[in-house]
Amino acid sequence: MFRNTSSLIQPLVFFIIIALLFPFSLPAEGELLQRIGGGVIWVSAVLATMLSLESMFHSDYQDGTLEQMLIHPRSLPLAMLGKALAHWTATGLLLTLFSPLLCVTFNIPSEQIWVLFAGPLLGTPSLSLIGATGAALTVTLRRGGVLIAIVILPLYIPILIFGAGMLTQTAQGLEVASQLYALAAILALSITLAPFAIAGALRVTIN
Amino acid sequence: MQESLERDLIDTVNPITASWNFLSDTYHRLGSPREFYTISRYTTPIFGILFLTLSLIGTYFGLFVAPADYQQGDSFRILFVHVPVAWMSMFIYIVMATAGAIGLIWRIKMAFVVTICSAPIGAAFTALALLTGSIWGKPIWGTYWVWDARLTSELILLFLYFGIMAVYYAFEERKVAEKATALLSVVGVVIIPIIHYSVEWWSSLHQGATVFAEGGPKMPAEMLLPLAFMAVGFMFFYGYALFLSMQNRVLENEHKSRWVREMVIRQGKNNELVRFFLHGRLRLRGLDLLGFNIIGASRICDFS
Amino acid sequence: MPSSKVISVKDLSCTRGDNQLFDAVNFSVSGGQCLHVTGPNGCGKTSLLRLVAGINFVEHGEISWNSSDTANNPNFYSECAYIAHKEGLKNELTAIENLRYYQQLDSGTDEVALDDILDKMGILKCADLLAQQLSFGQRRRLSFARLLIADFTLWILDEPFTGIDTSGRNLIESLCVEHLQNGGLIIMTHHQSLVDSPLNQYRSELKLGRA
Repeated sequence: MFRNTSSLIQPLVFFIIIALLFPFSLPAEGELLQRIGGGVIWVSAVLATMLSLESMFHSDYQDGTLEQMLIHPRSLPLAMLGKALAHWTATGLLLTLFSPLLCVTFNIPSEQIWVLFAGPLLGTPSLSLIGATGAALTVTLRRGGVLIAIVILPLYIPILIFGAGMLTQTAQGLEVASQLYALAAILALSITLAPFAIAGALRVTIN
Repeated sequence: MQESLERDLIDTVNPITASWNFLSDTYHRLGSPREFYTISRYTTPIFGILFLTLSLIGTYFGLFVAPADYQQGDSFRILFVHVPVAWMSMFIYIVMATAGAIGLIWRIKMAFVVTICSAPIGAAFTALALLTGSIWGKPIWGTYWVWDARLTSELILLFLYFGIMAVYYAFEERKVAEKATALLSVVGVVIIPIIHYSVEWWSSLHQGATVFAEGGPKMPAEMLLPLAFMAVGFMFFYGYALFLSMQNRVLENEHKSRWVREMVIRQGKNNELVRFFLHGRLRLRGLDLLGFNIIGASRICDFS
Repeated sequence: MPSSKVISVKDLSCTRGDNQLFDAVNFSVSGGQCLHVTGPNGCGKTSLLRLVAGINFVEHGEISWNSSDTANNPNFYSECAYIAHKEGLKNELTAIENLRYYQQLDSGTDEVALDDILDKMGILKCADLLAQQLSFGQRRRLSFARLLIADFTLWILDEPFTGIDTSGRNLIESLCVEHLQNGGLIIMTHHQSLVDSPLNQYRSELKLGRA
């Protein structure tokens, strides 16, 4: 992975560019940016994750490593869990580390910045895991990119709602623990179930 | 001891075991495409007639017998379409995912057919629920669209249906497409409750549940009755549309098998159609995208 | 290696879309035997191999390894190696790293063995080149090197002699002969006759497709 640094940096750069497009397309009011900044960062994170999903299994499928994984005696779901978490470190984790930086450009008050760190930290692994299921379903298709988006984006909505909802809550001075719990619950669910869905999807589509 | 007891139970004409045997027999027969085709040729028209009767009765009661609402006036009457249609949109998704799981676990061909044929019908019901909802919303909320929990959930459900249909049509190899579709619908059914509760939490402008509320329905019987008629009627419509669409797909899937060819020769009076069947690949893809395959199916099934 | 291992295929059929590629294929291969699958292009040779290897779903028929079903059978998967056109090599890794990856998957850590294998395959001098810098023939040799990193009993080889020079072919043939003499099994496809090959005396032929 570190030999191919461009694929490592692409999602991150995409994430930052998308987020920074918003100030250009909106009226230049500091207060408005401050209000929507968190949501913008979340949407950008979702889009950046989605963009990198197509290549997740693509090279493994092209060079035949994926077939070798299918017939290896080791557990395929476990391997897929590893694969999804590796994807997360290259996308979600990096994006999370950079999101406080974006907060500064959106003038988000510093006491809210931790929300934009903790939220994505709990939410983005689920994005990778659920997204990997879509990537596995479409790996054999020549133009799977749009299909991944159609299939996966509706499934991302709860994470987006809870993640971005935390910001509205903090802006009103309310507790955000319940949203953090919800994100953690979704993460627990996707860590346990998604690897099996990914493995099943690969067994179905590689034929 | 246990065995003889069981045998006794089966031997005595117990209505429960008898009906269970009948059900399991029907289930196994429905598992084979050919048997399904034979059975559904008889049941489909019955479903159609039941749908027409029940929904006509429901419409009459809903439009003329049920009293006007003291707040919403006559505009509430769209409820008799909106509510059953919204129920159906969720019910069909559950049927679709259950069939998908059955197909994946027990490798039953017909279960996949149920999944694939349900998707366009479910999508149509969902779209209808959204449409009737926003028509109803105009006089009540003063706007066609409100970002409220149920409308939003319903919209996401529509996208899920679209995703499932898109996956099916993306694969060229039918067996792969069937399994991928089934898998996705099962994944979806796990996430649907989460979507539902997240959206619920996110916003709740919509009025609370009135039919299945605690302490019985908060609705007069004159309103409840037509609602029940419409709900059961739409259920039969689903059965009707599903079976027609499944007949169509069974013919397409099995068009190389002997029973389809023999049936076509036996029934075929129109030589063009027979030749089409025997030599050409049956293509109705364009027609069945949005449940319109009903037209194509009925034309093929009933040309005798 | 005990020679009692046997793979048997009963009544296997395969359809692609509406076309039936083959129907009711039966064979049984035991230790020291090489099954040579022949037939015209598109008759399902590769599909047959993928079905046996466990990559494709078996819709009709049975495949058993030592009389137990091969599907989800870890004993079978740990004894079976599948080499095809897609080599299973990562372009970003060097030759030896690619090999080490497969060795570690099978819980092996012997560095010397890796060098020996590369030497045996005649590609030791490119051990530290990235896989994408290797020539096609060298890549083929590298993918065959995988057969030697663990004790695979059953080798499934899809067109092993494509894109490889004479010395490479001789090398692979001698590896196969050695494997068969040790009681191993081979199922392979090759579009040409193998009558002149040293494999001939171990070989039985399965013709697919309508003559």
